[in-house]
Amino acid sequence: MSSGADFVIAVYAVIWFVLLMYVVLLASRTARLSRQVELLSRLTGLHDEDDEDAGAP
Amino acid sequence: MTETGPGRSIALWGTLTAVLSTAAIVGAFLVAPEDADQGIIQRIFYFHVAIAITSMVAFAVAFVAGVLYLRKRERRFDEIGVVSIGLGVLFSALTVLTGSIWAKASWGIWWQWSDPRLVTYAIVVLLYVSYFMLRSSVDGERQARYSAIFSVVAFASVPLSFYAVRVAQSFIHPVVFTQSGANMPNTMLVWFVVSQVAMLCLFITLLKLELLQRRVDQALGELKLRLEASRPV
Repeated sequence: MSSGADFVIAVYAVIWFVLLMYVVLLASRTARLSRQVELLSRLTGLHDEDDEDAGAP
Repeated sequence: MTETGPGRSIALWGTLTAVLSTAAIVGAFLVAPEDADQGIIQRIFYFHVAIAITSMVAFAVAFVAGVLYLRKRERRFDEIGVVSIGLGVLFSALTVLTGSIWAKASWGIWWQWSDPRLVTYAIVVLLYVSYFMLRSSVDGERQARYSAIFSVVAFASVPLSFYAVRVAQSFIHPVVFTQSGANMPNTMLVWFVVSQVAMLCLFITLLKLELLQRRVDQALGELKLRLEASRPV
């Protein structure tokens, strides 16, 4: 393969890698948000149970 | 069905980005003719220039969001501004990296300090990186206000970088788009346009995704505070 082709491959690999890292960052943030939603829904469930035990309407 | 709205919109933009990016890669490598002067190296152009223009568009979006924030003082414009600048810096970094590899292939050097296009572009990138330092040094409403002022003032450097190469007498970075049109055949131009639209779609997809994440994060924070406040002691 010519050295010109190597440079072209390097450029497209850099673009692909940087964008992939960005998507991984976004995915990890989404996973964190998802964990928070899960925790909050569990907390609200406990909260509702407390209200029911206390005889709240 | 308001909850599925933003997600569906992001999915549509993402699909459009994937289709156009694939078309651009196929077009740039298999359909567009090989440049007589640079050969295969010229194929870097299709994404390098499209990414560079997209970074400028991102800074322009931040400029408009900054002006709108200063006029209306609505938080959403501050969010659009910070996300746009973040994406602009990401696209700028890609422009510098891909440009350096292309420079090494074409000119035999990674960087040329005497070239006005390269130096002014580096100044633009560093200026926008400093935006985040400014942002982290203040809080609350002042943070949004100072950030908006910065994004408006910093945008002056973008046209400066664009015109510097046209005004300067000596440079090695080529100018493809001049007042008389694009210096390339239509068979190349059409794939550049596809690639440019793909990069703009990518920018819109990432912008929408980041804004949605920020809003969900904020809503969750508020919900947590309300839950804490309503818990019996």
